[in-house]
Amino acid sequence: MKRICIILLAVASFSCQEEVNLPLGTIDSPVPVIEAIWSDRPFYNEVKITLAQNYLDNSEIDVVKDAQVFIINTRSKEVIPFRFDQGNLSYIPVETTKRAEIGESYQLFIQWKDNQFTSSGEMLAPPIVDSLTYKYEKERLFRDEGYYIKVYGKIPYQENNYYRIRVIENDTLKNDRDDYLLFDDTFGLTFFENGLELNYDFAEGDKVRLELYRLNKEPYNYFTQLVSLLYNDGGLFSPPPQNPDTNIEVISGSSDVLGYFSVASILTESVAIEGKDD
Amino acid sequence: MKRLVLGYNPYLCSMRLTAKPSNFLFIFLFTFPFSELIAQETKVFVAQVLDVTNSSPLPGASVYWENDVSSGVVSEIDGTFQIGIKTLPARLVVSFIGFETSIRVITSKDFDKPQRFFLKPEDLSLDEIIIQETNPDQSVRNMETGKATVPIATIKNIPALFGEVDLLRSLQLLPGVQTAGEGTTGLFVRGGSADQNLVQLDGAPIYNPSHFFGFFSVFNPDALDQVELYKGNMPASFGGRLSALIDVSLREGNNEQIHGEGGIGTISSRLTLDGPLFSEKSTFVISGRRTYADMFLKLSSDPDINNNKLNFHDLSGKLSFKLSERDKLTVSSYQGSDFLGLDDEFGLGWTNWISSAQWSRNISDKLFFDLDGYHSMYNYSVEFDDPDNGFEWKNNLSESGMKGIWTFLKSDALQTYWGFQSQFYHFAPIRLVPSVDSNIDPLATSPKNGVLNSLFAGMTNEITPKLSTEVGLRWGFFNQVGKGVDYLYEGGVLDPASSIIDSVNYKSFENIKFYQGLEPRVAFRYLFNDEFSVKAAYNRNFQYVQIASNSSAGLPIDRWILAGTYVPPIRADQISLGLFRNFDNNRWEFSVEGYYKDFKNIIDLRNGAQILFTDKIETEILKGNGWAYGTEFMLRKNVGKTTGWLAYTWSRSWRKTPGVSEGLKYNPRYDRPHDLTLVLNHEFSPSWSAGLTFIYTTGQAVSFPIGLYDVDLQSVPLYSKYRNEDRFPDYHRMDASVTWKNADKGRKWKGSWNFSIYNLYGRKNPFAYEFREIYNDNIKYSRAEDGPIVTSRQGVVMTYLFTFLPSITYNFQF
Repeated sequence: MKRICIILLAVASFSCQEEVNLPLGTIDSPVPVIEAIWSDRPFYNEVKITLAQNYLDNSEIDVVKDAQVFIINTRSKEVIPFRFDQGNLSYIPVETTKRAEIGESYQLFIQWKDNQFTSSGEMLAPPIVDSLTYKYEKERLFRDEGYYIKVYGKIPYQENNYYRIRVIENDTLKNDRDDYLLFDDTFGLTFFENGLELNYDFAEGDKVRLELYRLNKEPYNYFTQLVSLLYNDGGLFSPPPQNPDTNIEVISGSSDVLGYFSVASILTESVAIEGKDD
Repeated sequence: MKRLVLGYNPYLCSMRLTAKPSNFLFIFLFTFPFSELIAQETKVFVAQVLDVTNSSPLPGASVYWENDVSSGVVSEIDGTFQIGIKTLPARLVVSFIGFETSIRVITSKDFDKPQRFFLKPEDLSLDEIIIQETNPDQSVRNMETGKATVPIATIKNIPALFGEVDLLRSLQLLPGVQTAGEGTTGLFVRGGSADQNLVQLDGAPIYNPSHFFGFFSVFNPDALDQVELYKGNMPASFGGRLSALIDVSLREGNNEQIHGEGGIGTISSRLTLDGPLFSEKSTFVISGRRTYADMFLKLSSDPDINNNKLNFHDLSGKLSFKLSERDKLTVSSYQGSDFLGLDDEFGLGWTNWISSAQWSRNISDKLFFDLDGYHSMYNYSVEFDDPDNGFEWKNNLSESGMKGIWTFLKSDALQTYWGFQSQFYHFAPIRLVPSVDSNIDPLATSPKNGVLNSLFAGMTNEITPKLSTEVGLRWGFFNQVGKGVDYLYEGGVLDPASSIIDSVNYKSFENIKFYQGLEPRVAFRYLFNDEFSVKAAYNRNFQYVQIASNSSAGLPIDRWILAGTYVPPIRADQISLGLFRNFDNNRWEFSVEGYYKDFKNIIDLRNGAQILFTDKIETEILKGNGWAYGTEFMLRKNVGKTTGWLAYTWSRSWRKTPGVSEGLKYNPRYDRPHDLTLVLNHEFSPSWSAGLTFIYTTGQAVSFPIGLYDVDLQSVPLYSKYRNEDRFPDYHRMDASVTWKNADKGRKWKGSWNFSIYNLYGRKNPFAYEFREIYNDNIKYSRAEDGPIVTSRQGVVMTYLFTFLPSITYNFQF
C-alpha cells in the first residue's frame, strides 16, 4: 500500500486540505431512519428507528421509542410483534426466538405518530461455506503483508446473488467505509469456489469471525449506494451525492424516511490464526 | 587586413568571380592600395542579410552602426553588405521593412568567420493575419455569431499552469465557455456538457482530448496552425455535436529549409521540425512532446518509487503535397498516450490515434472541391497482475469518416457549398480478460456500431451591401447497425429491476434502429456602417453519440453510447442575437451576444448506476430535457503593444429529468451565472513582454448535506431531494507571466525564457468539499500513526489545488 500512497501523493502533491465552515441547510421536520434486519438468526433481528439531525449537531442521535413495529408473514399471515428494548435502544420481537424461515416472504409495518411505513423482503436460502483457510502473504501492490483468510464455498443459485460479508476481528466489527465487502455475480462466482480472499491482513493470535449475508437486491443496492456516498468527495470525478434509495415506503403521513429493511440468511464461521502455515 | 576580409567573405567573392576579369583587376588595383591605407584606422565588416524563414537574401536592408547612423549602407541584391568601423566593439543595426530589426554587438572576433544576419518576419503569423491584418473588421462584417478565433501566438502568451501552454484551457477564457473546476481542460459551452463538443484535429474527431485525467489537453501548441471555436451558429458542413465545434488545424511545413522550434518546460519538453520534403512542392512537419514526471521518480533510490511510471506523450506529423497547380494533398496523423504504472503490477493507459487525409482541388476559378477522409481511434487498458484476481480490462472505440464538399463562388455576393459526410462508429465490446489462474470470470459487453450519413448545403448571399444572409441545411440519417444485441424488457419498463423477456441478435450491418433529422442553420447580418452590425442566427443540431456519466469531469474509462432502440439522439435548438461594434479604426472590438438554447433527450444516470460493464445500459439511464440562456460581452484589442480582452458572461443552465431532483428543474454543476475574464499581454520592448489573466466566476452548483444520520454504524450525510441547490464560494484567480527574448543578433537560434506564476495571490479555490467525521480534531488522522480515537465530530474538509505555482520554460527556434 505504501507505494500507492506515494504515487497518489506525487499526483496530488499540489493539493492541500483544511477544515472550513460552510453555510449549510437544516432539516425542516423530523426524518426517521429505519434499520430493520429480519434473518434466520434471532440474535440479529431488530428494528432501529432514529431521527436525522442537522449536519453539525454533535449531540447524541435521537432514538424513536414510541413506534409500533411488527412483521407479517405474507403467506401465513402470522403477525410477529416487536417491542422497544431499552438496552439495545431498538425494537426486538416480543418472542425473541422468532426468526425468518427460508422460502417465506415478510412485510414490515411501522407506525410512528401519523406516519405509516412498510417494506417487504424474501428469505433466500444461504450459500454453502465449506471452509476457512489462512496463509501468510508477502506485501503486494494493493495489500500489506500478513495473514490472509480465504473463504471456500459454493453458490448454487442462478439468480438473486447478492451477498455481504462482515468481519469481526477479536470481537471488534470492522466497520469503516472500506470494510464493506459486497459482491454479486457480475464477475461470476467462480472466485467463491476457488477461495474468496478477505482483504485484511491479520496477525498471529487473531480470532476472526465472518458473517455471510444473502441479501435481497434492494438492500444490496442500498449498501452499494451507501458505500458510494461514503466515498463521495464532492469533487469533479464524483457523481452528485444522493441519499441511498430506501426500500421502505411511506403508506401515510408526510414524513420522509431513510434506511432499509433487509430480510437475509446469515452464515457465520470462525477461525483462529495460529501459525505461519495453513 | 583587406585581403583577410575578402578571404572570409564567400558571398562577396562569389559576386566578384562572376564579374568580368577586367573589372576585377580594376577593383583590385585601385581599391587595394587605398584600402591598405585606411585599414590602419578603419576596418571593413562584411556580412549577408537573409530571411530566417527560407534563407533567401534580403536586398535593400538598412545597415548602420548604432552610434553613427550616418554611416549606413544598404544590402546588395544578394543580401551582402560591407561597412567600415573604426572602433570595436560596436552595435550594428540591420533593419528591413516587414522584418524585426536585428542589433548585434560586433567584436574583432566577428571578422574571423563569415557573418550572416537572419531577419525574422515581424511577428505576424498566419493566424494573426486572418484576424488582425486581412480583415480587421471581420467581427463586424462576417456572418458568424458565436465564433471565436484565438491566435496560437496569443495562446502561447497566456500564463499557463506548470508553464504548459494549453489550447483548451485558453478557450475557457472566452465568454460563454465554462470550466468544470480547477485545473481541468473540459469545456462547457453555452450550457452544454463536455461530450457535446466536437474536438477535431484536421477534420478527425478526438474522443478524449486530455492528458493526466484532464489537467492538460492533447495539443502541442508548436504543431498547431489555428483553432476556431464555434459555440453558436455553425455552418451546415459541420454537425454531430450539440454545443460546440473546436476545429484545430496542424500547421504545414515551410518549403524552403528545415526549421525547428521547441521548449524545455517544468514538466515536459517539446520539439517541432518542419521543412521541404523531396522538393519545394512537398513539405513536412513533425512534432513531439513528452512529460518526464516518471524520470523524476527514477531518481529516487526507493524501489517503491522508482519502479513506477507516470507520463504522457504526443506525436504528430503532417505531410503536404502540391500535386499540381490545382491539386493539393495533405496527410496528417496524431498519436498521444498516457500511462500510469504502479510497480509492474498495475497499469492504466489510454491512447488517441487519429489519421486524416485531405485533397483539395480547384476545379475552376470559382469551383472548389475538398475531400477529407479520417480515422480516429481511442482505447484504454487497465491491467492488474495479481495471482488470484489478475485481469486485463480494455476497450476500444473508433470513428471513420469521409467528407466531400463543393464550394462555388458565383460572385462576391453569392457563395454556395454542398456536400456529404459519412461516419462509421465502432464501439468494441468492453472486455475483462482474467489472467491465468485468476478467480474472476471473463466478461464482455456486446459491440455497438452506427452509421451516420449526412447531406448538407448552404449559401451565403449578400442581398444588399448592408444585409447578408447565410442559410444552410444538414440532413442526417443514422442507423445503429449490427453486429449487436437488443434486449426486450417485461412491460417495456426500463429499470435495473426489470426482467429481460427476450433478446434479439443482429448480424453485421443489419439495421437495429434508424433515426433521421433535419438541421436547419440560418443567420442574418445587417451592417449599419463599417463599424457596427447586428447579427441573428438559429441553428439545430442532432447528436447520436454521447457519454453516459453524471460526473462533471471526464475520465479515461468513460462509457460512450450510441443512439439506439432505447436511447434517442439528443437535440439542441439555439437562437442567438449579437451586436458587433468596432472602434478606433478597428483597433477595438466590442460585442454583445445573447442566446437561448433548448435541449431534448439529454441523459442522466440513476442513483448508484453501474454502467462500466453492463450490457443493459439503457436501464441505468434517465432521459430529460434542458435549456440554457445567457448574454456575453466582449471587449477586445488585437493590435498594438497591449493586446487582450475583457469578457463577461451572464448565463444560466437548467435540466429537468424525471427521476432526478423530484422531477423539478435543477442546475448542472457547471452552471456559473457570472463569469469574468481579463486577458492582457503587453510588449515592453522587443526583449521583454508580460502576460496577465484574471478570472472570476460564480462557484459551482453542488449539493451540500442538510443533515446527518446513523445507519449501519456509519454517520451518513443527509442530502436534500433537490439537486445542486448550493454553491461553492466564488472562484477567482490571477496568473502572470514574463517572457524575455534574447536580443535578436540575426542568428538562426533564437531563445526565450518564460517565467509564469499560476494563482498569483494564492487564492484557495475549493476543488472539493468532503463531509466526514474528524477524529481527534485532526483532519489527517490515521489510526496507524495517531493512536486510538479520543474525540469524533462531523466536519467539512476542503481540498484545494495550486496556490502560487511558479514555473519556468525555455523556448527556442532555429
